[in-house]
Amino acid sequence: MVVVAELRDGRLVEPVREAIGVARSIGGAGATVIGVYVGPPASEGVGEFSRAGLDRVVAVEGEPFARTTSSARARTVAELLRELAPRVVLLAGTSEGRDLAGRLAVEWEAGVATNVTAVEPLAPGPIQLTRPIFGGRATQGLELPGERAVLALRPHTFPPAAASADAAPVERRAPTLPQVPVGAPTMTGFTASATGRGPDLAEASIVVSGGRGVKTPENFAIVEALAESLGAAVGASRAVTDAGWRPSSLQVGQTGKSVSPQLYIAIGISGAIQHLVGMVSSRVIVAINSDAQAPIFKVADYGIAGDLFQLVPALTAEVRRVRGR
Amino acid sequence: MEIVVAVKPVPEAETRLRPDASHASLDPEGVKFVLAGYDESAVEQALLLKESTVGSRVRVLSFGPAPRTEEVLRAAVALGCDSATWVEHPSDLLPDAVLSARCIATAIAGPFSGLVLCGRQSGDEEGGIFAGALGALLKVPSLGYATNLRWKEPRGQLTLQRSIEGGLEEVESSLPLVVGLQQAWNDPRTAKLPNILKSRKAAIEKIPWEATVATLGPHAIPGTVRRTFRLPPPRTGAKMIRYDSPQDAAAQLVRLLREEAKVFP
Ligand SMILES: Cc1cc2nc3c(=O)[nH]c(=O)nc-3n(C[C@H](O)[C@H](O)[C@H](O)COP(=O)(O)OP(=O)(O)OC[C@H]3O[C@@H](n4cnc5c(N)ncnc54)[C@H](O)[C@@H]3O)c2cc1C
Ligand SMILES: Nc1ncnc2c1ncn2[C@@H]1O[C@H](COP(=O)(O)O)[C@@H](O)[C@H]1O
Repeated sequence: MVVVAELRDGRLVEPVREAIGVARSIGGAGATVIGVYVGPPASEGVGEFSRAGLDRVVAVEGEPFARTTSSARARTVAELLRELAPRVVLLAGTSEGRDLAGRLAVEWEAGVATNVTAVEPLAPGPIQLTRPIFGGRATQGLELPGERAVLALRPHTFPPAAASADAAPVERRAPTLPQVPVGAPTMTGFTASATGRGPDLAEASIVVSGGRGVKTPENFAIVEALAESLGAAVGASRAVTDAGWRPSSLQVGQTGKSVSPQLYIAIGISGAIQHLVGMVSSRVIVAINSDAQAPIFKVADYGIAGDLFQLVPALTAEVRRVRGR
Repeated sequence: MEIVVAVKPVPEAETRLRPDASHASLDPEGVKFVLAGYDESAVEQALLLKESTVGSRVRVLSFGPAPRTEEVLRAAVALGCDSATWVEHPSDLLPDAVLSARCIATAIAGPFSGLVLCGRQSGDEEGGIFAGALGALLKVPSLGYATNLRWKEPRGQLTLQRSIEGGLEEVESSLPLVVGLQQAWNDPRTAKLPNILKSRKAAIEKIPWEATVATLGPHAIPGTVRRTFRLPPPRTGAKMIRYDSPQDAAAQLVRLLREEAKVFP
């Protein structure tokens, strides 16, 4: 099995550890799990990768990779895969990982599935897996019949592999293919999002979202304070992003982002179907709304009917108290 | 600029999902299939680029069964796409994103030097696979999660942003390129009635399945098999917390999240 590394700010991202954990659990005791890193030189990140529970690491580092997107790296990854000949390649279900998945499926001629939430232990015959579809409103059981498979896993679904005390051996290779093919897209800048301090919306294990019930852009700080106390990402209903109170990158729903955290807290959000499709697959949903009849309470696990301006600051204080800060 | 948009007909958001008789897939009976979600963004982005770049045309393509595919293509024509190609597939086939990309690549045909826009993931199975697969097949770069595409005429460069973990990435690229669109507008245009009427009579190029099979040969089969389609147990409604004061409500909720739901760190 192969797990492809992804670094951010030079550090290994958590979903890669989850992918290593899945490789271990579906491969059984005898399986070899090889880590592949293709990217800019990153001795610290590659070192971290080598201690993440792998048997071996192959790293192809090159400065120009820093400015390319995943499609440029895909050729180098595919070349390594042809040589390493694994049965399954596991990718983190981040934007990079998912962009890579479709490309690798063609370049390495493999079956592919993304957003995977369960994989049966490998056995002779097709690979069996499960994935949510329709924004988590249904679950699909899928079979990949071919000899090779690329799987991108849904983040925060699987337990991460335990780090190993000893580092796996790292084999460093010089790039053999052009790192920036002619005409390839290049990165020219990066702006950390407004919520750059907290975790990313699509990946966060807790999301706190505010809706029109918050009433003004200034009041939205109440929602953000709760999110901060929980280490959560901030989301919003479209009523909030349309009004320009917060950027549209925070919008959750049919025309925004789909999220499925462990905990989703909806504050002053009525629960329109277009909002629900983006968050209903969250594991636990909490709703705070002054209207006890609001549709959001039909999908929530826990509800508090009442005024958010009183309830949310009290909740923030309580969270800070029990978390000791 | 040559702009191609790939769209997939998907059930409208309000659809009540039901498994079919085999319990392997969605029952399409009575379901309304529409142009939706990220594909709507892709069409809107294509039209904005066309309007701002003299001499460009938008061709919309879709691989799917009758009648939904033709309907969605007509909807895209009504919005302003210049030509439409329907890559037909037999209704009993359940294709996946890679097969879709192969079929669309066949229909694009020849060395491609323009821009392909598609959704960053489809509104039904949400694979996010198509853009990368199509890019690899056409042998051109691809990227997803894109918003805000601009064409810089003098240098022949495309600029865009990618809404990814932790922030917004700025990207510059030349053509050819395949781009998967993240939502960028909350209000993509709606078609005007005269255009809807005109679109009903618009000529739609149709590529019969036999022709696609002849080109694809052994690749004309899906790489995945759908086994089950399950609905989660219906949510039974929230446990409502009764409280004396906001502090009491907060304390109860935190305790429930910790001890009962076990989600609280
Ligand atoms: C094609 C289409 C796509 C869409 N896509 C999306 C999408 O992606 N995401 C999305 O969110 N929406 C989307 N919408 C919009 C959606 O239909 C709703 O209009 C929107 O979700 C409503 O946002 P809201 O719940 O914040 O506001 P409202 O529906 O106005 O609800 C506000 C809630 O706040 C409560 N409230 C008010 N004051 C207080 C208080 N003091 N304390 C506690 N509670 C209070 C009210 O009881 C009410 O339930 C879409 C609509 C269309 C037509
Ligand atoms: N059968 C198809 N015909 C045309 N375009 C498609 C088809 N399937 C997927 N696409 C495009 O690819 C995007 C991503 O699809 P997917 O990879 O299936 O999530 C969609 O939003 C469409 O723009």
